[in-house]
Amino acid sequence: MIKIYAFVFSLFIVSNSLGAFVQNDEAAPDFRLLNSFGEEVSLQNYKGKKVVLEWTNHGCPFVAKHYSTGNMQSTQSFAKENGAIWLSIISSAPGTQGFVTSSEANELTTSRKAIPSHVLFDPDGNVGRIYDAKTTPHMYIIDEQGLLKYQGAIDDAGGRGFISKNLLEAKNYVKRSLEEMEKGNEITNPITKPYGCSVKYSS
Amino acid sequence: MLYFILLFGSSINAESEYSASNSKISLISESKTIQPNDSFYLGIKFELEKGWHTYWENPGDAGEGASIEWSLPKGVSSSNTLWPGPERIPVDPLMTFGYNDEVVLLTKITTQEDIDFPLEIKAKVAWFTCKDICIPQEGNVSILINKGEFSKSIEYEEIKKYADRLPIEFYENYRVEKLDQKYFLQSTVENDHFENVYFFPRYYGLTDYVAAQIYEKNENSFSLEINASKTDLELEKFEGIIEATNSKGVFYFDVNYQLALEKSKEQSLLLLLLFAFLGGLILNIMPCVFPILSIKVLRFIQYSEESSIKTYRFGLSYALGVILSFLLIAFILIGLKSSGEVIGWGFQLQYPLVISVLFYLFIALGFLFMSNLVLGSQLGNLNSLVKVENESLESFLTGILAVIVASPCTAPFMGSAIGFALLQPSFNSVLIFLSLGIGFALPYLILSIKPSLLSFLPKPGPWMETFKQFMAFPMWASALWLLWVLSGQVNTDTLILVLIGGLTVSLSLWLLEKNTSEINWIKWFIRSIAIILIGLSLYILPTSYSLEENISEDSQTYSEQRLNDLRNSNELVFLNFTADWCITCKVNERVALKTRKVKQILEDKNINYLEADWTRKDEKIATKLEEFGRTGVPLYLLYPSVGKPIILPEILTEDILLTYLSEVE
Repeated sequence: MIKIYAFVFSLFIVSNSLGAFVQNDEAAPDFRLLNSFGEEVSLQNYKGKKVVLEWTNHGCPFVAKHYSTGNMQSTQSFAKENGAIWLSIISSAPGTQGFVTSSEANELTTSRKAIPSHVLFDPDGNVGRIYDAKTTPHMYIIDEQGLLKYQGAIDDAGGRGFISKNLLEAKNYVKRSLEEMEKGNEITNPITKPYGCSVKYSS
Repeated sequence: MLYFILLFGSSINAESEYSASNSKISLISESKTIQPNDSFYLGIKFELEKGWHTYWENPGDAGEGASIEWSLPKGVSSSNTLWPGPERIPVDPLMTFGYNDEVVLLTKITTQEDIDFPLEIKAKVAWFTCKDICIPQEGNVSILINKGEFSKSIEYEEIKKYADRLPIEFYENYRVEKLDQKYFLQSTVENDHFENVYFFPRYYGLTDYVAAQIYEKNENSFSLEINASKTDLELEKFEGIIEATNSKGVFYFDVNYQLALEKSKEQSLLLLLLFAFLGGLILNIMPCVFPILSIKVLRFIQYSEESSIKTYRFGLSYALGVILSFLLIAFILIGLKSSGEVIGWGFQLQYPLVISVLFYLFIALGFLFMSNLVLGSQLGNLNSLVKVENESLESFLTGILAVIVASPCTAPFMGSAIGFALLQPSFNSVLIFLSLGIGFALPYLILSIKPSLLSFLPKPGPWMETFKQFMAFPMWASALWLLWVLSGQVNTDTLILVLIGGLTVSLSLWLLEKNTSEINWIKWFIRSIAIILIGLSLYILPTSYSLEENISEDSQTYSEQRLNDLRNSNELVFLNFTADWCITCKVNERVALKTRKVKQILEDKNINYLEADWTRKDEKIATKLEEFGRTGVPLYLLYPSVGKPIILPEILTEDILLTYLSEVE
């Protein structure tokens, strides 16, 4: 009997000591944004599918390198093969680096041979702030149930000397996490340090 | 024109300078001549256009520090890059750490005995120059060092300026406590005190970069409150540098503190699984489960007379039914959680509320067992619902039924299990419920494998009613225990209120039980009264701790009179000067003053604990503080039976406090 009391009580202690900031394994906040074709896109529409969010800014040298080396595109096609939806989100405020018009966004997609499902505009930065997106790129993976499963860098090439690193040899966290989710395994590093330029939020 | 020549030159042989857009780097040395077996600083100097910056080792929310690759002649070696203390560079709503306008990143170069002069040292540097946008840059620089005595170069002062900003080991005694998603860095100050202190974390996932840090300066110590990172990686080390400012300037110190870690998650998960299993076992003897099992046991005996294989199958199907039901509960919960429903209400509740609700529950359960509400027969009726032709199917359904009907008296256990399970990754919650299920099904399964054990089981009979009534006492004992826990959290008034709540809960249950009136309106009238009573009991539930608020009416409250009385009768006194807004005081109370061991020794040695609460800056307390040369809290005084009080350190640990308390006479 005493053990049960200890059990009951220890549960309270445990449940109280755990922090309130568990974002992974919680429902990813829903959002509605316009895409580069002027259509409204809502995260909710993709329940039942994995969704990858990519915060982007084409003027940021970190992002530029991921696209010029084909690393981002290869990650996008990997995600697509795994049945995931890919949403590239631009939170740059008007007048700041990375802010583009719809036609510029589509032109960038074509010229870079990128294959996102949608390019979304978040000029007031509300969605970026809700997700606490800090850098471009900053990646998030949401599972079929709408739970956030991964947040952080695209790969382990971050850190000093990024510019001289070979991205195709880096450990791609997004690919690995998608693979692990597909196999039903635990994600090895569900949180990694995002790296890149700061998101150019409106102040 | 000059730059052009330099750049042109650099393609063949790197020069000491390299220019890029918005920034320029150069390789500088504190001396142009050096001896073998010596060491000296080289620096990469970054000159940025006004308003531009480059980053520290940990860039904060975005950006990246510079990287320097050295090519050194034989017999020469270099240290890692040495980073001077950084500045905070906010990029709303983010925070970055770096250097505005200019910085020199240093490297210590060491020469061996056998080296060839002149030394040609080259560096390949990659860095980011950022303002609102970032530009990646890369360049090569080099320098020639000749043999000779150390002599200050024209860049010596520049290097010294940044060498002075390199963090050195922190010479004061400090500790770091993590409480409720906040880190508290606390340090004694034996040398010059600081006007302000700021912490720069070395690694991602430790502290929140954006949130303000709260610095509290005490007499001989300070406390710094720092929010933990929202993406808390639960690092084992609190590592980084502090920037400490006083009238003599700005100082940077390395801090590296091994955090006291809670038990690793796996261990606590194993322990929880064990408790869940035990909980499942105990569920069997719960009075709302036992009757149904007894009825089944009868059928069991019947079967065992027929064939053992049948009994075996019977037991297995029952176990399967139980375990599947528990798994179903787990999946429903995960589903609810996944669908984003707000069912996390339980976790934000304060202890007093949860404990009081449980208190009501145990009172009510006890009442149910004691009363004539014939639980057993109702279950028997339910059980007849699952009488079907196929015996295996029947026992399978019985397993499911057992879980359902067990719920009234398993609620407290299940509730906690659910609460915990919800906080866990889905996989762990499934495991917890699986353990509960296995524990619940095991005794029955064992009986089916070894039916001979059945002879040890008591036959169902009138004793069950007696047993059921007896079970009220463990329930009420639990209620008492909960009350004892509660008494440590709330004051007497609140405690009495909760007791009154227990009374009204019992009264309403009694009304419901006795309410057998044939007349409709009387029946409903009594029912409404019962519901109002229950509502009342819920209304008076305590929602927060009230112990500390009412401390002023406590015998522990300090007054000059009380202190003098105790001193005149040669009593030992521990006097705690504290305030609600004092971070140091609160941390000391959590980690040292209010721990079980300390309370025990205070009691054992008959040390009178007095608390002087300076939250509202009481004049009398201020005078007392002044007596000890203090203008603020915390101050801890330990009065021996005769003589002057001992002044304790401002930063208390349990060990320090226990030593003082055990030595005082």
